Amino acid sequence: MILRRHPSAALLAAAALSSTLACKYEPSTPELHYSLNAKALADNPDLAADGGAQTQLLGALQTMFGTPKNPRFLALPEWLADGFDPNFWGEDHVKADQAAWAALVESNRKAFGQQLSAIRAGGFEAVDRPRFADDLWERWQRLRAELPAGGPDAEYLTTDDGQKVSWREEALYRFENYYPSLANSAAFYHNQCFHCHGAEGGGDGSTSRFLEPRPRDYRPGKFKFTALKGKARPRHEDVFRILTDGVYTTAMPSFRRFTDAQLHGLVDYVRLLSIRGETEILLASFYDPAEGLHFDNLRENYTDVVGRWREAPERLITYAGPIPEVTAERVEHGRALFTTPGEKGGANCVSCHGTSGRGDGPSVWEPGKVGIEFTKDDWGNPIQPRDFTRGVFRFGRRPIDLYRRIYAGINGTPMPEHFGMTITESARQRAMTEDDVWDLVFFVRALASQSPLLARAGGAPAAEGAR
Amino acid sequence: MKHFLLRVLATLLFLAVPVLGVWTFVKADDWGLWFPPIASSYGASIDFLFYVILWMVTVTFIGTEMLLVWFVFRYSKKDATRATYTHGNHTLEMVWTAIPALLLIFVAFSQMKAWTTVKINFPTDGPYTVEKPLMEVYASQFDWRVRYPDPQGDFAGADVIEVPYDITVPANTKVVFRLKSRDVLHSFFVPVFRLKQDAVPGMEIPMWFEATTPGDYDLICAELCGWGHYKMAGKIHVLPRDEFERWLADQRASLYATD
Repeated sequence: MILRRHPSAALLAAAALSSTLACKYEPSTPELHYSLNAKALADNPDLAADGGAQTQLLGALQTMFGTPKNPRFLALPEWLADGFDPNFWGEDHVKADQAAWAALVESNRKAFGQQLSAIRAGGFEAVDRPRFADDLWERWQRLRAELPAGGPDAEYLTTDDGQKVSWREEALYRFENYYPSLANSAAFYHNQCFHCHGAEGGGDGSTSRFLEPRPRDYRPGKFKFTALKGKARPRHEDVFRILTDGVYTTAMPSFRRFTDAQLHGLVDYVRLLSIRGETEILLASFYDPAEGLHFDNLRENYTDVVGRWREAPERLITYAGPIPEVTAERVEHGRALFTTPGEKGGANCVSCHGTSGRGDGPSVWEPGKVGIEFTKDDWGNPIQPRDFTRGVFRFGRRPIDLYRRIYAGINGTPMPEHFGMTITESARQRAMTEDDVWDLVFFVRALASQSPLLARAGGAPAAEGAR
Repeated sequence: MKHFLLRVLATLLFLAVPVLGVWTFVKADDWGLWFPPIASSYGASIDFLFYVILWMVTVTFIGTEMLLVWFVFRYSKKDATRATYTHGNHTLEMVWTAIPALLLIFVAFSQMKAWTTVKINFPTDGPYTVEKPLMEVYASQFDWRVRYPDPQGDFAGADVIEVPYDITVPANTKVVFRLKSRDVLHSFFVPVFRLKQDAVPGMEIPMWFEATTPGDYDLICAELCGWGHYKMAGKIHVLPRDEFERWLADQRASLYATD
């Protein structure tokens, strides 16, 4: 009745109702799951056509690496016998490094200041729930339920070396020595990294398409910025440094606003994603329509991939002793190496970085002419050689950082390993030494501050059409 | 009787606006919604300007609201007399034009000192000047990076120190620095310093502050700069002068580390 007489009342009621409903509306997030690597599938059309084999592959991967909600490594018995549990990989690694662990405890003390002072004061109700640390919160809840009858300072447990620990000491210890679980780090990853790097670490998150350069795809196991030689997998420290320092002039920011523990946890999860991705690519490549998936070499592949990550620290490029002193002769020698093309026995830097050092060598504007095509990296993304005159270096500007770049090259890009490269000087062939690499470093560093150095020292100006 | 109650109810409703409005301002400090502490030499003068305008607005707000409340009550009578036509009041119009004009002139002149202090008259007496700044702060999507020049004061030198996120400065020293942007508009905002400045690509904008209290303070981007704007944060670490010098020396030494 009333509605027929007052159509505007119906409108009003509908508006009121819809706004109430809008307030109640909560967007539902579907549960994340790992998908198969589209690129690996495309490389093996037989597998791409076989849905059953794909399901098998996904199942095998889930057995080894779990789900996004509960990721974990399948720990092989021989590893455990060796004292190596991949599920506590990062924690064990950081604990072994005294300085890193001290920094972690220090940053935990800062982050959990409220909780620590509340526990010291005895106001256990006042302990706030920390952000992004659900596992710690659960542990705290369980600990609270076990509060001894004798009060917080009553004895709670005895450590392996026979020390008696009170309940309060144990509570403080748990907050100060917090190290996130893999599941917790995965949740943190989904909050902070997922939108660019994607659920499987494929660099294909929803925001990735707006970025140039594109986010890293961890699945092939290649990482550009490490301090290692021989295209090794990164060390824990290498990934951690990317997280704290970011990659300048890319969309990868510095994540220093989070605690050390959180960042170490992210390193662990990135490692899991990368190992998962590499194992998947290997398994997918073995699919044969006549025989199905070869799961008999699954264990072998998995051990290989994990082994490559475990041996990474041995590949560190070290330099014994202090960095040599920069002299005019050394810079001049670096210039000679830099500007002499490969066919004349030089280090051939000019072919990509150009006679002006601006990253505009012939390989960029005449691809193929000098035998190097510097247009795409191993992930298929367009790249450019570094412009040294800008003074921007993506993985650190310290001399040792540049030394490592030139020494071992950059994994996944045409930048080659220079140490041991054959050069010709004074009509004599020899392999490049550490000193030669340093001379190149000094020259590149000088270039960043004095761009006309090349021209003044006899190099040709930038080639026409280079820009 | 019923109509009278409705009149009272409407009047109370309109009265609630100024009462609640003023009350939230009075209680804001207790709720932790008011300003953070001041940690720069000129912060108090910025706050003073804010309070000058706040008081002006408060008086005007309460005055107009009271008038409104009175009108709502007075002229909602059912048996109101016939409206009369009026041609306006010349004196009244002069008054309500002149008072705001005077207030605006007062605001314009009272802020000049603070503006020149913060944005125009850069310190020339301290260790850092516009020609020889302590550092360069680069904004880019989506982080802050600070560059300290090499020992010769050259920002293009090989020994420049570059740090993301953490900006370390000495306390009780007039710190002059340059603000730059690598890509789009950003805004350098340190609430405890009461300092905010847009970073414009292609421009080198000189800025200065004198931090009075050592501590760690938030730096945020106050200009919507893209999808990652919300995460574009930084920290200002204010250290006592001698500690800062030690920190800088450590940074210079670690540049040549081989770890």
